[in-house]
Amino acid sequence: MSQGIVEIVSGVEHKGAVDRRSVLSWLSGLALFGSGVISLVSDFVFIKPRATYGQPSRFSIGRPDAYPPGTRMAIDGRRVCVVRDGDQVAAISTTCTHLGCIVGVAETGFACPCHGSRFDQDGTVTGGPAPRSLPWFKVNLAPNGDLEVDANAEVSPGTYLTV
Amino acid sequence: MKIALAIASSIVLIIHGIVFYSQSSHGWMQHQEAYIAEAQNKATNDAERNELASRRPRLEQIIATQFGEPRVDRCVSCHVAVDDPRFVGHAQPLRAHPYSKELGDSYENGRWERRHKFTDFGCTVCHDGQGRGLDSFYAHGEDRYWPEPLIGYVAQAEWNEKYRQPLRGKDYMEANCAQCHASGDSVSMPHLERGRRLFFEKNCYGCHRIDDLSEGALGPDLSEVGKKWKLDYLWESLVDPRANTPVSFMPKFNLRDDEVKSLVIFLKSRRGTNPAQTSLQRYRARAGRSAAAGQAPVLQADLPEDPVARGEVLVRDRACAACHKLGNQDGGIAPDLSFEGLMKDTQWISDHFRDPRRLVPDSIMPSFRFSEPEFDAMTLYLTSLRTPPALGDSAEIYRTLCARCHGANGDGTGPVALYLDPAPRDLTKAGFMNSKDPARFVRSILDGVPGTAMPGWKGVLGQEQAQAVLDYVWSSFVREPRRDAKKRSVPETNPVVSTAESIARGKQIFVQRCTGCHGLKADGKGPNSIDILPRPRNLRNGPFINATDDRRLLESILYGVQGTAMPPWIDYGLTANDAGDLLNFIRSFQTRR
Repeated sequence: MSQGIVEIVSGVEHKGAVDRRSVLSWLSGLALFGSGVISLVSDFVFIKPRATYGQPSRFSIGRPDAYPPGTRMAIDGRRVCVVRDGDQVAAISTTCTHLGCIVGVAETGFACPCHGSRFDQDGTVTGGPAPRSLPWFKVNLAPNGDLEVDANAEVSPGTYLTV
Repeated sequence: MKIALAIASSIVLIIHGIVFYSQSSHGWMQHQEAYIAEAQNKATNDAERNELASRRPRLEQIIATQFGEPRVDRCVSCHVAVDDPRFVGHAQPLRAHPYSKELGDSYENGRWERRHKFTDFGCTVCHDGQGRGLDSFYAHGEDRYWPEPLIGYVAQAEWNEKYRQPLRGKDYMEANCAQCHASGDSVSMPHLERGRRLFFEKNCYGCHRIDDLSEGALGPDLSEVGKKWKLDYLWESLVDPRANTPVSFMPKFNLRDDEVKSLVIFLKSRRGTNPAQTSLQRYRARAGRSAAAGQAPVLQADLPEDPVARGEVLVRDRACAACHKLGNQDGGIAPDLSFEGLMKDTQWISDHFRDPRRLVPDSIMPSFRFSEPEFDAMTLYLTSLRTPPALGDSAEIYRTLCARCHGANGDGTGPVALYLDPAPRDLTKAGFMNSKDPARFVRSILDGVPGTAMPGWKGVLGQEQAQAVLDYVWSSFVREPRRDAKKRSVPETNPVVSTAESIARGKQIFVQRCTGCHGLKADGKGPNSIDILPRPRNLRNGPFINATDDRRLLESILYGVQGTAMPPWIDYGLTANDAGDLLNFIRSFQTRR
């Protein structure tokens, strides 16, 4: 390989633009710089964990039949409230946007037991310290016919899945 | 110099690049991309297609927390289509788990509904393997038997080549079903049930303890054996108990391959607590268990009223014939009981049942934990076996009565000899046979040798028959002509009175001269004992020592035992008084208790 470099370099030398020494310096410099960049990038990649603890963010909540029209059902452990209106299904987070307590589901909306935040049926803040409305999660129909909630994907309030 | 630097830095760059690539590109990512692309083709509407288009490969995991220890199963990162009915029968890793009525899945409205939802159960609870593993090596190994359903904790490729072949197939899955599904559940587990039955029929329960099932104490506790060992180890331990534990005294039972398989499945299912049980259920089960103490019976059959008939049912039910010979059943491991009533009296049988090692200290017969009435009934039944065996000439007598232990060639290697301690005498050794008085042999035949497996045959044989058998042994097996035993001057009784000083002197002599073979504990297990056949006598064998007179023991010490490793100590400066001290020391083990 070095033989090849020498030939290339000697070819270049005749033109007088760069000599062999500077090509080698450039080569080593570039390689070291490249390694540095890759190390830096891998450091940043390393910061983000590949797997997280706790329940997976995309999960199945069972058949649509399990939720008759008019249902507002909180699923403990998953921290979502499944709402079905006619043949439309949505999932609203039950994690309070204030300090992360689990909000209670009532007829009129949601109420946080910790600091008294209140939300209406769509999760919009109506009182208390909560800074934002409750997020809605994406719901889709899995190939096996189950409803699937993706707690990583927020959708705008009022987005329903028609089943 | 600059060339070297350039080359070195280029190599560093290449290595960096390779590491970076291998760390950022994973098998599971490629599998998920393949799944997304294929699902796009199979999608029927735009909504599905859009949903798939927005999906990026990511680590998928199931965390099953509902029973037992939480399980983290990342199998679905590669096997991403496991719950997608369109991928049934697809090539792995994108194959959907099959639906089957056997697993409890139901088919309704043109759609399958799983009984064991993966989000609740995870994967490894049934399939084993390491749920957290993210490439196939860590998850289940590069398995040459793929796609057998049971993965095993470590790759089957590492299994013992000798036993690998029969360890394939779906039947072994029953061991994993049985972790949660108790016996009597609606789930059908034929192999497991058969293994459970065999555990009793082959009398495994006598030595081994399993929670809720058996109380044996001689062998290892098997309650969690399925957690500890792989299938191939279990198989090997059953067919060749000494393969892994050279000192094991577990007999080699005569098991067919299908029986071994059932037992392996049963043993693999023993993994301690049932993860499907709540702690309250577990507590209740334990509380109920302590109330019903004793041995779990094999059969719950109705017992007849008549005690002898009841004893017969019990003896059959408790699987005595798994080791002993009883009529036409023969376990091939322990002595013949077919005419036990002629050989032993009620007291002996009854005592031996309750603690075999009190009468034969090195017996491997388990101390069963049956109830007193059960022991009494079984004793009565054995005492009632008084039909003498059909005996012809002396050769036939030897074949019928003696060959089981002493061997067809009289060399002490009969089929059950391996399991007897002390081992049956090698009758071919002329040195031994010629050094003893024939009257002593006849006495041993008729009265037996206490503390050993040699029974007294006087209930079966007369004086003349015993003499005839002895003559037969001499003419057929002993390799040298018969000589008269030398008369030796040995005191008839111990010349030294047993005092504390005498015992102390005896102990000192014993430590100096005897421990190499007989061991510091005098139990016949000294450092040289493993090289010596027959093995040195266990001098703590109370029944033997108590039943043997002073003269015989003194003669053995002073003049040695010909045909064995016991030397004549009189040649090494031991006096009769020293031997007396030794005798007092040896006898002191028995009086001290």
